[in-house]
Amino acid sequence: MKINWPSRIAFLLALLIIVALVAVGCVSGLTPVGWSGGAVSGGFLYVGSQQGRMVEVNLADDSRIFSEALTPVSQPGLFGCGSASAGGGCGGGPTGVPVYGTPVVSGNLTYMAGYNGKIYAYNTSNLAVRWVYPREGNLQPFVGGLAVLERPGLPAVLFVGCSDGKVYALDAELGDRLWESAVSDDKIWGTPTASGDTVYIGSFDKTLFAMNVSDGAVRWEFATEGSIVSRPLVYQDIVIFGSFDRSLYAVNTADGSLKWQFTSKNWFWSEPVLYNGKLYVGCLDKFIYVIDPSTGAKIAEHEVDTALASTPVVVGDSVIFASEQGIIYAMAAGTYEVRQLANFDQTVDGPLAASGEVVFIHTQDNMLQRINAVTGALLSAISLQP
Amino acid sequence: MNVWELIIQQPLVNILIVMSNALGNNFGLAIIALTIIINLALLPLTLSQIRSSKRMQDLQPRLAELQKKYAKDRQKLAQEQMKLYKDSGVMRAGCFITMIIQMPVWIALYQSIYLAMAVAPEALLNLSRFLYPWDSVFAALPMSREFIGMNLASPNIVLAILTAASQWVQQKMSQTPVTDPKQAQQAQMMLWMMPAMFGLLALSFPSGLALYWVVNNLFRIVLQYRVTGWGAFRRQARQPVTPEKRRLKFDTTAEKPAEEESAGTIVADTSTAPPPDKDSLKPSKSRFQPGKDRQKHPKK
Repeated sequence: MKINWPSRIAFLLALLIIVALVAVGCVSGLTPVGWSGGAVSGGFLYVGSQQGRMVEVNLADDSRIFSEALTPVSQPGLFGCGSASAGGGCGGGPTGVPVYGTPVVSGNLTYMAGYNGKIYAYNTSNLAVRWVYPREGNLQPFVGGLAVLERPGLPAVLFVGCSDGKVYALDAELGDRLWESAVSDDKIWGTPTASGDTVYIGSFDKTLFAMNVSDGAVRWEFATEGSIVSRPLVYQDIVIFGSFDRSLYAVNTADGSLKWQFTSKNWFWSEPVLYNGKLYVGCLDKFIYVIDPSTGAKIAEHEVDTALASTPVVVGDSVIFASEQGIIYAMAAGTYEVRQLANFDQTVDGPLAASGEVVFIHTQDNMLQRINAVTGALLSAISLQP
Repeated sequence: MNVWELIIQQPLVNILIVMSNALGNNFGLAIIALTIIINLALLPLTLSQIRSSKRMQDLQPRLAELQKKYAKDRQKLAQEQMKLYKDSGVMRAGCFITMIIQMPVWIALYQSIYLAMAVAPEALLNLSRFLYPWDSVFAALPMSREFIGMNLASPNIVLAILTAASQWVQQKMSQTPVTDPKQAQQAQMMLWMMPAMFGLLALSFPSGLALYWVVNNLFRIVLQYRVTGWGAFRRQARQPVTPEKRRLKFDTTAEKPAEEESAGTIVADTSTAPPPDKDSLKPSKSRFQPGKDRQKHPKK
């Protein structure tokens, strides 16, 4: 029998191209999944799942309540690959709207911003939706989290940065827009920090903005050499934040002038934490740095297995870090000695949360892992799927 | 980081970023420039592939002759075909081997484009693993995805159509004429299937990839034109009518309706065409059917 080699080879090549395209497009983690951290309040933990649901975990009995799943902007594209703005999954990934920002709790409401360009307020008692912003249509995807500013005698204000380059301020009770400010020419994926009468937020256009809480007017701005997604930390009269130019900056809150700059070998993605007058920060160069917040001088450093994208948390006298590969480390605050607590062998990008001695880690298999950071005991994981 | 990422993907990603920075933070131009550079680097291989295909095309009439000649002796046919390939210096597998060598480079290139675009937040985070510790690289990120009014991170219908169209033209130009109807049918199917598939993929993936496919196809079209001319387009232009449909009427008064005539019967149309020369009216030996013709045209 005569074998038609040219057409067979052509067919095999076509098959090879399809396999390669699908493999690259749908398997290599290039589609949005989400990495929401957890927020602990009143004995409950609130976290955004990869199916686009707010999950409330009762820390006393591990019972869970799920909100309705967020609705994607549009139908997924071909081969199951949703467009980025649609919030669709791909291949074997989640099919819901990804949630990146950690929920925030204020009074009897908990808030979450979705990759579908909407902000949701839920009743903490039953996770029923109280309000949605915008009520009609969708904004650009939200990647950064929310910040709530509670003011005595005044309604609380919710701040969020959007991929459309704007910062939105909403009435936290009603979901009405108080103001919007188009501060950036590029995306905003950073989480804002509200302190006093100022909101601080970083942008893809390499600038940190300090804005009035009341009207969103830019008070000052500080330009770096790289984009900023790290959440700013306000400490005394300085604001500290990391940038893609591999530097950690401290800027005076009064006028935005540079106080100090610490440079590493890769991006600063996560937010630094302050404990006992020292700054602890993980970097994508695989190092944990301990820095003097007054001078920017390095006090200690420790190299770990992979990049550190997740924001650490303080438990007892230790600062707990999670590497991207899912290894959990505890750095002793006094000695800066590091010990490995656990290895979940799952990607961890979102911020850690803690309640008492227990640390909560949202891994990419959509589980909420738990570990006692003092004893090192592993507790049973909680599934974030209904 | 595995070997593939370390040796191929990481350098390509960093080159893309540096080029984008050098070209005024224009990622679209960086994609175009890098695609052309890679194509130029692979030019000897690509030319060898095109020339090999061209030689195969040139051999087709002689192969057809052999197929006719040794229609009943497959073994002899295979021997003669091999001899013909050898004498003509054609390596049948040559063009496919070349394509297989090129494939990893193309795959790495579009993987790098996809990676550098950092469409999803996870991809941006993942990108940090691939960066060289150069100031120019860190300063350029994340790159602007705007290119002549298009967002290279989202699918674009215009680029999807251009991808399919350029793929079709390129394939059509490089198509090898075949005599076997089955092969011809398969070739025709591939001619439409591949562009359609790439068009659909372009609608599903970020348009930065579609831009790469379009530039790649255009480069191949130019190259193909320089080596073989318009290829199948020219052949088609020379033969506007297929042999089965050709009619040269010479007897307008024939009682027999045209539908009953066997394919290839030569009939001169004196009303519209100039008088044909004598030789051209002779039916070819292969189409002459003595028994049948005797029945249709009995001796007077």
